[in-house]
Amino acid sequence: MINMQSVSKTFYQEAAPAVTPVQAVNLQVKNGEFVLLTGRSGSGKTTLLNLAAGLIKPTSGKVLIDDANIWDLTDRQLSALRLQKTGFVFQFPSLIPSLSVMENTILPYSFGMKDERHLIQKRAVDLLEKLGLAERTRAFPGQLSAGEQKRAVLARALMNKPEILFADEPTSDLDELTEREIMSVLRDLHAGGTTILMVTHNTELIPFADRIIRIEGGNLVESHPWYQIPKT
Amino acid sequence: MPLFNIVWKNVKGNAVRSLLAFLCVVGVSAFFISTMIISRGTQNSLEKGMQRLGADIMVVPNGAQTDIETALLMGKPSHIWMAQSNLDTIAAIDGVAAASPQIYLQSLYQAACCSVSETFLVVYDPLTDFTVTPWLKKTLGRGLKTGEVVGGAYIFSPTNNGMIKLYGCDLKLVGNLQPTGTGMDQTVFFTLDTANVIAQSSLTGAVSPLEIPQGEISSILVKVKPGIDARNVIAPIYLKIPDVAPIASPQLFGTFRDQMNGLFGGLMVVVTLAWILSAVLIGLLFSMSANERQRQMAVFRSLGATKGYVLTVLLTESSLLAVCASAAGSIIGSFSIFIFRNYFAGTIKMPFLFPSISTLLLLSLWSLILSFITVSIGTVLPAIRISRLEPAIGMRE
Repeated sequence: MINMQSVSKTFYQEAAPAVTPVQAVNLQVKNGEFVLLTGRSGSGKTTLLNLAAGLIKPTSGKVLIDDANIWDLTDRQLSALRLQKTGFVFQFPSLIPSLSVMENTILPYSFGMKDERHLIQKRAVDLLEKLGLAERTRAFPGQLSAGEQKRAVLARALMNKPEILFADEPTSDLDELTEREIMSVLRDLHAGGTTILMVTHNTELIPFADRIIRIEGGNLVESHPWYQIPKT
Repeated sequence: MPLFNIVWKNVKGNAVRSLLAFLCVVGVSAFFISTMIISRGTQNSLEKGMQRLGADIMVVPNGAQTDIETALLMGKPSHIWMAQSNLDTIAAIDGVAAASPQIYLQSLYQAACCSVSETFLVVYDPLTDFTVTPWLKKTLGRGLKTGEVVGGAYIFSPTNNGMIKLYGCDLKLVGNLQPTGTGMDQTVFFTLDTANVIAQSSLTGAVSPLEIPQGEISSILVKVKPGIDARNVIAPIYLKIPDVAPIASPQLFGTFRDQMNGLFGGLMVVVTLAWILSAVLIGLLFSMSANERQRQMAVFRSLGATKGYVLTVLLTESSLLAVCASAAGSIIGSFSIFIFRNYFAGTIKMPFLFPSISTLLLLSLWSLILSFITVSIGTVLPAIRISRLEPAIGMRE
C-alpha cells in the first residue's frame, strides 16, 4: 500500500545549516497494517509521516501509494487521493477556529467529496457520538478541551472512510480515559481493515500495533512486530 | 459546505482583521466617490449652464470676463455695460445666425420691496432670445407676457400664490427652469417690457429705484451658423469692436475650470496616495495573520483541497471585503455629499449639480473596481504563496 524508496528530506534554511531529518529511508506498509513510528524528539518521525502521507515532497526518493508515485500526480490527482484514500491527524491543533465541530467534521465534503446531505450529516453525527462529542457538535474549537479537539480532528480524518490513516501523536497531552477512547477507535478501524501509520512516544500503545519502527537521526534503525520488540 | 460559507465564516472569525481592512477600503472608497461626485457635479453644472445659455459665443465688455462668469455661475449680480449698438455690428458679421442681448440687474438686499434678496435679474429680448424662449415655448407654449417672470430652479414664491415682488412690483412667476447647479438657478428672467414696468414701479414702491441705462446692454449671446467655426466669427468681432471680449463657449467659465482642474488634480493625487496606503495596509493586515492562515489552508490541503480551491477561498475572502466595503464607502460618500451638497458648493465656491443615479452607479462601479484592485494587490501575493505551500510546511510555519 505505502512504499517509500530511498526517501530523503532536507530543509534548507536561511542563515542556518541545512537539516536532513529523513535520510534514504525505505519503508513498506502493507494493506491493513497498523505501524507505530517511535523515536526521540527530533528523530524525524513527523517528517517521515508527512512524507508518507504526501504532505511534503521528498528531496530525493519515491513515495508510492498503491504503486503510484504520488509526486508524479497532478495537484488535482494528489488532492483527490488525499480526499478519497487518506486521513490525517496533525499533532498540533488543526481545527478551523471559525467553524463549529460539526462544520469542521464535514469539511472534506467542501473539497469535492460527493454524498447525499443526510448521509454526510448522519456519518458525522455517528462519528462524533462514537468519539464522545455528540453534545459538542455546535461548539467552536476555542470552546473545546485539548482532548475534545483531538477527538474532533480524528472524527474529521475519518469522515471520508480512509483506507490509510496517518496520525501524529493522536494521544499526546490527553488523560488516560481519552487516550483509551481514541486507541479504541483506532483499534476498531484497524480491525475493519484500515491501514494505520502512527507516530507516538507512548510505549503503552505498542501492543495495539502490528509493527513498531524506531527512527534515529532520520534512519530506520529497528522494525519489529510488537511482541518481538527488544526490552531495552 | 459551500465555499462562500467557509469564506464568510472566515471573515467573521477574523473580525478585527476583517474590520480593519473593511474600514480601510470604506474610507478610501468614500473619499474617492466624494471627490468624483464633486468633480462630476461641478463639470455637470458647468455643462448644464452652458447648455442653458445655448450660445456659441458670449460677448461681454472687455475686462468683465470674470464678473460675468461669477454672475452666471454663482448668481452674484454684476453691473457691466456696453453700447447696444454693438448688437447690430455683431449681428451683421458673416457666420452669425443669431445675436441676442441681455441686461443684468439685481434685486435689492433685504428690502421689503423685493421678495428675493440680492438676486441676479436677467432681462432678455424675446424677439432674438434663444436662452429662455425655447424652454418657454416648449413648456408654456408661448413667451412671457409683461408682468410675468420665469425663475431658475431655486426661485419660488414666498407667499405661495405664484407671485414674487421686485422693486415693489408684483410679478407672476410662471415657471421654473430645470436645475443647473449654477447661479442661473437663483436668477429671475424677464423681458425688457417687464423691466420697464419694474423700473417705473420702483420710483414709488421701492427703497431705491431700478435704473436701466438707456442704449446699453450687459452681454450679447451669439449663435453661429451650422458648419461655421466660432473662431471665424470671433476674429471679426475683435476687429470691429475693440472694447469687447468675445468668449467661445468652450472657453466660457475658463477661470472656474482652471480652479476646478487644480483642485481636483490635487484631490486625485491624495486619493491615489490613499489607495496606495490602503493597499499596503491591507497587505500588512493579511501578512500579520499569515501564519494562522497558512495553518488553516494547510489543513484544507491535507483534507483534499486543491491549490486552486485554497487560492479561490483566499481571493474570494478579499473580494467579499472589497465589494462590501466599496459598496458601503460609495453609499456613505454619496450620502454625505448629497446631505452637504449646498455646504460644499458654498465652500469651494463653484457651481455644483448632484449627479444622476446612473452617474452615481457608474462611479460606484469604478470605486468597486479600484477597491477590488487595491485589496487584490494587498492579498494576491500572500494568497498565491500560501496556496502553493506544501501542507506540512504550512502547518510547521
